[in-house]
Amino acid sequence: MPLALIGLSHNTGATVEVREKIAFTTPGTLAHALHFLKTSLEGQAEAVLLSTCNRTELYIATSGNLSDDEITELLLEARGIAGEAETICPYLRTRHGHQAIEHLFRVSAGLDSMIIGESDVVRQVRDAYSSASHAGICGKTLNQLFHEALRVGKQARTESDLGRGAFSIGHAAAEVARNIFGVGRGQTVLLLGAGKMSETTARHLTAGGAATVLVANRTYDRAVHLAEALNGRAIRYDEFADYLAKVDIVISSTSAPHPIVTREVVEPTLRHRRRGPLFLIDIAVPRDVESTVGELPDVYLYDIDDLQQLVEEDMAERRKRAVQAEAFVRDEALAFAAKLRTQSVAVPLVSSMRAKVRTITAMELTKLRQRLPHLSDDDWQTIEATFASVENRLLHDPTLRVKEYAAAAENPEVEAKMATVRELFGLEQEENARRV
Amino acid sequence: MSVAILGLTLTCYLLGAMFLGASLLLSTTEARRPWFLISGRLFAVIGAVLHGVAIGLRCIELKHPPFTTPAESLSLLAWVVVLVYLGLEVFWKLWAAGPFALGLSFLMVVLGAVWSGRAARTGQDAALLGENAVSLHILATISAMGAFALAFCCAALYLVLHHILKSKQGLVWMKRLPPLKTVETAAFTLVALGFPLLSLGILSGMARAMGGGLSPGWATDPKTLMAYLVWGVYGVYLIARLLLRWSPVRTAYILLVGLVLCLILLAIPSAAHQFGEVRPTPS
Repeated sequence: MPLALIGLSHNTGATVEVREKIAFTTPGTLAHALHFLKTSLEGQAEAVLLSTCNRTELYIATSGNLSDDEITELLLEARGIAGEAETICPYLRTRHGHQAIEHLFRVSAGLDSMIIGESDVVRQVRDAYSSASHAGICGKTLNQLFHEALRVGKQARTESDLGRGAFSIGHAAAEVARNIFGVGRGQTVLLLGAGKMSETTARHLTAGGAATVLVANRTYDRAVHLAEALNGRAIRYDEFADYLAKVDIVISSTSAPHPIVTREVVEPTLRHRRRGPLFLIDIAVPRDVESTVGELPDVYLYDIDDLQQLVEEDMAERRKRAVQAEAFVRDEALAFAAKLRTQSVAVPLVSSMRAKVRTITAMELTKLRQRLPHLSDDDWQTIEATFASVENRLLHDPTLRVKEYAAAAENPEVEAKMATVRELFGLEQEENARRV
Repeated sequence: MSVAILGLTLTCYLLGAMFLGASLLLSTTEARRPWFLISGRLFAVIGAVLHGVAIGLRCIELKHPPFTTPAESLSLLAWVVVLVYLGLEVFWKLWAAGPFALGLSFLMVVLGAVWSGRAARTGQDAALLGENAVSLHILATISAMGAFALAFCCAALYLVLHHILKSKQGLVWMKRLPPLKTVETAAFTLVALGFPLLSLGILSGMARAMGGGLSPGWATDPKTLMAYLVWGVYGVYLIARLLLRWSPVRTAYILLVGLVLCLILLAIPSAAHQFGEVRPTPS
């Protein structure tokens, strides 16, 4: 079945306004769209709709002849925005055959993502495939394609280390914490300020092994609210200095106009600390932690610029590693495209060739039986085996050639060769006769 | 036989150090790194087993303890270093100490061979060295040295990690190294284990010396005095770490000095530790 893909993403220049128009991410829209596609395609094609905040892509495997315009129309109608074709179409891109395969493999590996290597897209690809399967519009070809895409994505990510490193400030802070304390060491984290960013950073740290979270905020109720969300404990803001001796990590993101964690506050607490480093993460602007605090022994101070630098360094590393992943994905896409072509073109052709030869053999054997009725069953077994052997030997080379032609790149020359084979074996006449 | 096995051991140590070093230094991917790591660890384990067999066979062949010549003592110390490293691997996954431990062990065995050749002591001296008190003295001291060598490595790793974290340069590279707190804890644990062993070594040596049979100036012998100094330095480390709450950077420097003193202790000539002349064994 020929494959086609039509869609847009941040990489096709689609702005967030355009992307949200065609997104199927709101509840119910995807199920409705899949139902619409199932009804419209009437079993003539398979479809998977991949829709995330950065992309909307429709993958189609069709046995009929759906043009690009028809597929575009289907996509827009599925979203109920057929009237907005002028806004959407300039950003839509179409890919066929191995290019569509390669694109999906790149998406699955995180190579086409806004943040290269991010792993959330794997779940999104899996969900898209799962939804299409449940809707009953995913057949053999797309089943194979999406299984392969998930495998290739995982392998590319693993082999080229794409998933390693920090993707965000919170992630970078968790990485540094891991370098200081190790994984799953049950550190105590103190949050100064109950902002979104400190919450995200704390979540990364708890995922990395931090066990206890304390929250201090000027508004105590907000501290209580965030502490509940993080399964931690709220403390009074004016008492935070008393806790510095007991915590391992401090995340500060208050809106205070001047530093609140000063050297005078931290230095005395170090004497009372149980042994162990103190990691201060200052993500506030203006900064909450006095820069000289970082000079204290066993204290490691990172502000937002330090963490951003770490994110950028990791991103640069990932870009280098992405080159390796791109090559792997390209090779896998070519191999899978060849496999699909072999399945869709070579296998039916070889089957037809063999069926024809087998029919001729059977006819000749029947005639021979009438002419030589005196031969024993053993003799006939020998003759049948000889015929089968000749059949196999005759078809061996043509079978190999046909598979080679099919596995080669998609081009008219290959189609011409296939047509020649059909003509040589007289298969076209038979197929026409069967159709009549 | 034991010499041939020792040759294989050296090859394993060298390959182990190279694989673990490559894993640490080469810009390779996480997917490939485990293969370097697995290979390095495998060579370390095979090397340790072979080394143990080689030492055992030599004891059986020559019918004396495995520390009657400088070469044998160095070989035994090298084996202890590798065993301590494998212990660090089991408890803290401190593979970053592998290149140091295996490289050091390789050098010690080679150095021992170059230094002494195929030498053995006379039967009388070997018998003296085979006494329980002397055996305990040497084994405890060598075990302590093995622990201190790895504590040095952990301290050096700590200082590297501390520098990277403070300067915020090379954080990407740091991901290949163990966590800061782990190396500090490992260094302390090694000294906490090594210090009692060294104490036991010194006490058993003193007990044997007081029993007679050694040169009279053993108490003021440079090696004996150096042993006290080493003991004192590691004692200071423990006090600074446990009671004075010195910063880990300062205590790490003590461990660096400690190993330098240990090396001097090993190399320093000593009249009290001479058990007759070393003579070449007939080939």
